[in-house]
Amino acid sequence: MVDGVAAETHFAAIPGTPLYHLLMGGDSWTVAAQPLEGVGRWALGAVGERWEVEVVDDRTWQIQALIGRRAGGGHGGVVKAPMPGLVVRIEVAPGQRVAPGAGLVVVEAMKMENELRAAGAGVVTGVHVEVGQAVEKGAPLVTVEAVEATEPLG
Amino acid sequence: MPEVIRRVLVANRGEIALRIIRACHEEHLEAVAVYSEADRLSPHVRAANAAALLGPPPASESYLSIPKLLDAARATGCQAIHPGYGFLAERATFARAVRDAGLVFVGPPAEAIQAMGDKTEARRRMQAAGVPIVPGTIRPLQDAAEAAREAKRTGYPVLLKAVAGGGGKGMRLVTAEGEIASAFAAARSEAVKAFGGGAVYIEKYLERPRHIEIQILADAHGRVIALGERECSIQRRHQKLVEEAPSVAVSPALRRRLSDAATAAAGAVGYVGAGTIEFLLAPGGEFYFLEMNTRIQVEHPVTELVYGVDLVREQLRIAGGQPMRVHPGTLHPRGHAIECRITAEDPFNEFLPATGVLQYLRVPSGPGLRWDGGVEAGNAVTLYYDPLIAKLVAWGETREAAIERMRQALGELVIVGLPTSQAFHLRVMEDPEFLRGEVDITYLERAGPRLRERDLMPGLERAVAVAAALLADERRTSARPQAHSDHSPIRPSTWAVVARQEGLRQ
Repeated sequence: MVDGVAAETHFAAIPGTPLYHLLMGGDSWTVAAQPLEGVGRWALGAVGERWEVEVVDDRTWQIQALIGRRAGGGHGGVVKAPMPGLVVRIEVAPGQRVAPGAGLVVVEAMKMENELRAAGAGVVTGVHVEVGQAVEKGAPLVTVEAVEATEPLG
Repeated sequence: MPEVIRRVLVANRGEIALRIIRACHEEHLEAVAVYSEADRLSPHVRAANAAALLGPPPASESYLSIPKLLDAARATGCQAIHPGYGFLAERATFARAVRDAGLVFVGPPAEAIQAMGDKTEARRRMQAAGVPIVPGTIRPLQDAAEAAREAKRTGYPVLLKAVAGGGGKGMRLVTAEGEIASAFAAARSEAVKAFGGGAVYIEKYLERPRHIEIQILADAHGRVIALGERECSIQRRHQKLVEEAPSVAVSPALRRRLSDAATAAAGAVGYVGAGTIEFLLAPGGEFYFLEMNTRIQVEHPVTELVYGVDLVREQLRIAGGQPMRVHPGTLHPRGHAIECRITAEDPFNEFLPATGVLQYLRVPSGPGLRWDGGVEAGNAVTLYYDPLIAKLVAWGETREAAIERMRQALGELVIVGLPTSQAFHLRVMEDPEFLRGEVDITYLERAGPRLRERDLMPGLERAVAVAAALLADERRTSARPQAHSDHSPIRPSTWAVVARQEGLRQ
């Protein structure tokens, strides 16, 4: 059953590759799959698109919905390094209010400067790195506490 | 000229090193690869007849080290050095050092590199040669007061640009007089940091021009020819992403005028070898010299496909003192070619560079396709070098045919292990504005959000969700062996799938 509709499928791994072939209702799809850390988590790819998915059964889904884990999470939280690199600029200080899209930290990788921006309005509550510091992927850079944008922010 | 060239040191890495090695072999020359410790297993090292270790991964200790490259060339008995693009390709000091070591530099004379590398000197020379330049200054600005005067004379909006510039560094757009002083200071300090020199000048900012460039070849026998244009307007932060030849905006008459300007520009600096003159083409058809790239370009394959010329083999012949094999009388573009740069960058996350091991690669194939790659399955994409994995090039008898071929090829390409620009390119190939040829250098700014939001293919997300559910099911059931029917319909309502396409639609 997919979205309440029964579907005939044939699913086969392609030997020697991370690829799977899916025949569904006669349509042909090739999907690349890499397991990620954690139960039921995968990175899937097809025609150049990439999804990180988490497969959960109905019961887990309902529990998670109850405790609000899937509520979307707002925009607050720790901004992490999306790739390994070098911190070249810090554009905020603790206590500073930031507007959505405001620049926070600039990390240089592969000769390119990449500016990490605030996802939403907030207040910077912590800066965890210094200029010149090398960071690993996933390293915490800045913590932004979400605030409701009740007034225009600079 | 020293002895005859028999062996060439390829002072580069990745796809361009492999491209040059192949050209050497076709010219019956031996090729010597160089590599850093990070590139020991890269394809270019295996493709060459010999290889020399330069040093640790950072470019400054390997591919940018002139003494190490010269030592490697001597130790391996090379008579010539091909710099490729990037790294030392446009450093006059390198070209001079190669010549002083008694070796042939596969590229223009050091003097031509120097003349074109200094943007204000290049503008003066072009003006003298009758090549139209973007209005502005042809000398570096002394101070903020002069910047304000010249900006007013040129007319806002203006661009402040570094004299030693490139890649958008030391560049500032100034729309009003109030901003000029701070922009001047910022451009200057950025230029000092990036190029070691703070000289800046002013250029009129053109509204929505196209980036059009002309490929030229010049040999030591005094011949300079133009091989048509490339349309390179699809750029992000001055990095080109999609290139094509010919351009829908260039008529045969305009092509002749651009070609005349390009050959005059090359002649004005005594150019020898392959080079590219970049122009800005205004919507009204006026064009202006932007800069000259004194090397082979990343996007050279689109020209090769429509003109039937191997530019790298011609570079090698010209460096050996032979006349080029190309005759201007025979040059007409045939069909249309498009190149997509497949980079390790995440198009759904502001094109942030990605690192990691390429775990699986399936290269598209079939008529009219070309894959210039430098990374294979098992290789790592690291922080040390640029994120280009490969260039996928499609040729077709018309622009529509080339785009359709590219679309199919992008669908066939499989890269597992790290995010790439593949999905972005697929979206460009289906974008109505791109299909109509309505591109200019602001295209990506305008089209980016629309491209990212589009659903690529009906049913795709559903198929991926089903695949995820089946994968999870396979894992679960494989723990306790039982007769597992491959042909079973999905079990009712046991699994729900949360598909999260990061940054794509949230």
